[in-house]
Amino acid sequence: MDSPSSENLFTFLSYSLANFQAAFFRIPGSAVLTRYVKSSHQDDPGRTLLEVILALFVIRTLLQSRTRTDRSGGKHFIQFSDKEIDDLVDEWTPEPLDPPLTEQQEADLAAIPVIAGPTGPKPKLMNTGKPCVNLASLNFAGLAGNEHIQQRAIETMRKYGVGSCGPSGFYGTIDVHTELEQRISDFLGTESSVLYAQGFSTICSVIPAFCKRSDIIIADRGVNFAIQKGLQISRSTIRWYDHNDLSSLESVLESVAKEMKRRRSQKHARKFIVTEGLFEQDGAMVDLPKLVELKEKYKFRLILDETLSFGSIGRTGRGLTELYNVPAARVDMIIGSLAIGLCSSGGFCAGSLTATSHQRHNALSFVFSASLPALLAVSALEGINLLVNTPSILNNLQENVRAARAILDRLDCVTIPSHSASPVIHIHLKTNSTSLHPSTAVVSTKPSNPSSVLPRDAANWTWDAETEEQILQEVVEDALAQGVLITKAKRLRGQELVDPRPSIRLALTSALSKKDTEKAVGVVRSSLIKVLGKRR
Amino acid sequence: MPASARSSPMAINLSPSHSMFKKSRGKSSSSQSPSDAASYLSAVSQADARSRASSNGKFSSTSTPALSLSSSVTSSSEDTVLRTGEDESNHDGLAFPATPPTSEQVFTTVHTEFGHCSNEGYRYTSQHMASEPIEAIHERDPPYYILLSTYVSYLILICLGHVRDFIGKRLKAKAYRELRPHSGYAPLTSDFDSFYTRRLKQRMAECFNQPVTGVAGRTIMLVDRTSDDQNASYRLLGTRTRVLNISSYNYLGFAQGKGGCADAVEEGIRRYGVSTCGSRLEGGSSDLHTTAEALVAKFVGKEDAIIASMGFATNSTMIPALVGKGCLIISDELNHASIRFGVRLSGASVRMFKHNDMKALEALLREVISQGQPRTHRPWKKILLIVEGLYSMEGTMVNLPEVIKLKQRYKFNLFIDEAHSIGALGPNGRGVVDYFGIDPKHVDILMGTFTKSFGAAGGYIAGSKTLISHLRLRSHSGPYAEAMTPPVLVQILASMASIMGVSPASLTSSSHTTLRPVASNESSQALMTSHPGPAPASMIPNWMTLPPALSDGSEGKNRLRRLAFNARYLHRGLDKLGFITYGHPSSPIVPLLLFNPGKMCMFHRMMLRRKTPIIVVVVAYPATPLVTSRVRFCVSASHTKEDIDIVLRACDEVGDWLDLKHGIPAAERWTVQKITERSGELVHPSA
Ligand SMILES: Cc1ncc(COP(=O)(O)O)c(C=O)c1O
Repeated sequence: MDSPSSENLFTFLSYSLANFQAAFFRIPGSAVLTRYVKSSHQDDPGRTLLEVILALFVIRTLLQSRTRTDRSGGKHFIQFSDKEIDDLVDEWTPEPLDPPLTEQQEADLAAIPVIAGPTGPKPKLMNTGKPCVNLASLNFAGLAGNEHIQQRAIETMRKYGVGSCGPSGFYGTIDVHTELEQRISDFLGTESSVLYAQGFSTICSVIPAFCKRSDIIIADRGVNFAIQKGLQISRSTIRWYDHNDLSSLESVLESVAKEMKRRRSQKHARKFIVTEGLFEQDGAMVDLPKLVELKEKYKFRLILDETLSFGSIGRTGRGLTELYNVPAARVDMIIGSLAIGLCSSGGFCAGSLTATSHQRHNALSFVFSASLPALLAVSALEGINLLVNTPSILNNLQENVRAARAILDRLDCVTIPSHSASPVIHIHLKTNSTSLHPSTAVVSTKPSNPSSVLPRDAANWTWDAETEEQILQEVVEDALAQGVLITKAKRLRGQELVDPRPSIRLALTSALSKKDTEKAVGVVRSSLIKVLGKRR
Repeated sequence: MPASARSSPMAINLSPSHSMFKKSRGKSSSSQSPSDAASYLSAVSQADARSRASSNGKFSSTSTPALSLSSSVTSSSEDTVLRTGEDESNHDGLAFPATPPTSEQVFTTVHTEFGHCSNEGYRYTSQHMASEPIEAIHERDPPYYILLSTYVSYLILICLGHVRDFIGKRLKAKAYRELRPHSGYAPLTSDFDSFYTRRLKQRMAECFNQPVTGVAGRTIMLVDRTSDDQNASYRLLGTRTRVLNISSYNYLGFAQGKGGCADAVEEGIRRYGVSTCGSRLEGGSSDLHTTAEALVAKFVGKEDAIIASMGFATNSTMIPALVGKGCLIISDELNHASIRFGVRLSGASVRMFKHNDMKALEALLREVISQGQPRTHRPWKKILLIVEGLYSMEGTMVNLPEVIKLKQRYKFNLFIDEAHSIGALGPNGRGVVDYFGIDPKHVDILMGTFTKSFGAAGGYIAGSKTLISHLRLRSHSGPYAEAMTPPVLVQILASMASIMGVSPASLTSSSHTTLRPVASNESSQALMTSHPGPAPASMIPNWMTLPPALSDGSEGKNRLRRLAFNARYLHRGLDKLGFITYGHPSSPIVPLLLFNPGKMCMFHRMMLRRKTPIIVVVVAYPATPLVTSRVRFCVSASHTKEDIDIVLRACDEVGDWLDLKHGIPAAERWTVQKITERSGELVHPSA
């Protein structure tokens, strides 16, 4: 209807097109391009279309990525003038990074035991200057202070220096690392293994190296902090089963299997079970044969954290696989710590060659961190040799465990959730009647919700973490006054997925004689009775 | 224990390897070596005798003759400067210096670990010059054909890989079993990850994960290997090769098996054992930790510090304790994986800004402060800016003066990861803060690692006393991660003390057993004012006796100055040869751009096959952007000027072969000869 203006528009368009064409032909090489387009169009018109679509797609993605970073605030973005921004900047007062410590924190800080000189079964304490019997440090096999290991460490240091000065990929793979990896896999009976520079960081990296956003993990509700962090980084779908309750695991496996059948998109999801051999939170032990049977039945892969059990459980310290006589090859990945079982430092993951070589390229704390100092690798190696050659070490440990349990089990003001063979013994306070920690296992009939990490009877828990921590700290101090060093299980309350119940954690060692152990545990027992008696 | 005495087959092959090595090397080099070695030996023993004669009294108590080390503790007989027990030949020019020492020169290091270099001309001070731009990285682009061929190479690699996969999965199902769902299990590795590893990385696998043995010092021993199946697996050849090591993060050359630090570590192991058995909060703390933490705090100029047993974990377990929900982390886009790990665990929001771009940072700061939290627009609780002092892939230095200016205006908290810069930068080795002459009090959190400059392992975070106390109680490391081991702690103490120098024991009680040496307010203030000063003798364990050169700080100073010289010399030299390099000229990390993935392998191989074999680190995607594959040299104080000459010469030849010189135009280039002769001119900024 408005013809003159549309005519104008048309002339303008054709004019600008001509201009554009002229400009285009001035660009060197443009003739080649047109010739190319023409000839290809002649040969195959479909291809031109395809190429145009491709070009458009490239432009679109380029634009998109740009806008994505620019947009930031999205539709909530508010436009401010420079002046307003300046005012807002002036107004903004951040919270302090270092707020003053609370009284409780000060007390906690002061109560951290510091050992003067070498650690061992009877070290000297910094705070008191007096020697004490050590039931706090993790020295299960009594390797701390072993002269032979020290000598080998010194020799190694003379040959290799201390630090490796580089990640494994970049000339940080020392021959002793390879040797130790070989030794570990021979020891456990797996195809291969891979070393990490720190025990804690091992499983945090192993889990996300395999488990991606689309994968499914079934985990125990009581897994340790490192696993929790690994799960968090992985972003996989996580289903929980009741702590150390394999029938709960089976029902979760069942429901996940059903769910996966329904959902096509999950057909190729990787499926993992992640749990611990000997639980760090309470010393419970998993029934490995049953667990392996379940995982094989439902075709899940098993990542078993043996941080505490490697070097302490089984005849020669191979861990749960040795205790239950399950071939380690049936567990897909075993994670262990060289720091705890072997009194050195570092961690490892043992499994199939596919699994370990994948980690060498993809596990973050392996790829992006300097490798373990050679002398620590050799110390660990010597630790394994000692365990293999001297089975009496762990035999003594078990005797000490039995002796300790004989004393503690008869005490009725506390409950002990730990397995009877566990060299770490957690002591919970017993509260009256209804309060139930899952480990005290009173069966409620309602199954728990696998999507929530909260245990089914969390609502019934009546214990108060703060008072219990206080009481237990009193026990710790009382025991220390009598020359026995013990510790509470230290927790990051508020950062754990479910705060575990406060406990005292005894770590037994074969370096103490049975008599010394009995005496020391006796002291703990009397401290418990004394402090708890006062409270009643 | 009876078992321990038996030397098991698993024991590391300390002694057998010698003989094996000798056999294999003896053949190839016996013809020429004796003359070199013998003449050098005699020259050196004469020098030794002269120095012993002349030093009557001067070095009376701790006389350090030219050859034998003063390590009285070591019983090993191979403890001489010359004989590391393995090389007798010098055909590769690595075992002995080119010129034998004179009578005045007293070297206490093994040349293969820490090179002998007495020429005071080859020294420089690492310090910011106003005349030198901080962001000196006018990144030069290569010609288009290089970029094009790079892209095409990747394209071919990817297409070939897919074709091979396609055919392989059908014809050789067994070999590809792990990649496909089998008997109800999904493949263990995701398709992309495994494709990248199998089809791209495996082709260059020979450049990575090379097993080594011995000290990662100036030279290192490669355990030779070969592959018969295109890098799917390797077979060890049973021989070793000594190579010039310009790859390890050994900036100050403290990776040593001999010398004062190593002696201290030996004593430390005897006194403290190998481990402290447990986490810091649960009975794994020893007085050594407290001592080391106090010394670290003093070293970096903060009130207190906390140590973790792994550098990676320092970031990944402590950042979550600093910030959480409702806080914002602003992170440089090239920050290290460990920082990203920690940031993801923290639950805080994250924004990234373009690498070292202060304009982008300021714009981002203005935006985030004015907008507040997403949706609710509540103001952020805290904003934490995380940058690195020296970026490990780029060699760039953070523009700290500008960051501090922004910090004053925008009130955010500043976290600097000094993993690579601590010890390696600054006239006193106190890192990037020292380099720019900035008071450490302007930085809230100084993080660093001991893996690099100190030849140890682990990391630290330093800050205000309250902040560190919070970290002790709230970081994941405290209750859950193993404590740092005593040998590593002693290495840190000894190396750090020798960088600082130890001030002679003063009137203050030298009880090294005080729990927190910076406990009282006045003493901590006194310490602060003397930053960066020597370590008070009371701060290092009283059983630790360092040789005089270490404890008076002269050797530490020397190392810092040698590193600064070497870094600038290599960087400027490569520039002058015509290569494209990145980063700050003072950075000990020198990346040299290769671009084409095929050249990475070639460069690596050609450097290794030279008369003086050199090992280099090549890095490619995903550590760098796809096109800018590079080699990364890590210069060390242990290198001599001659070593850098060797590297420059090698690069010159290989660079011509591989067409790598696309930096400055040919007319402006210098010849290698000219560069080696006029090194001083190059290093000093006026050049
Ligand atoms: C910036 C940065 N932070 C942390 C680390 C980790 O240190 P470590 O190797 O001691 O684990 C590195 C190591 O490469 C690094 O470059």
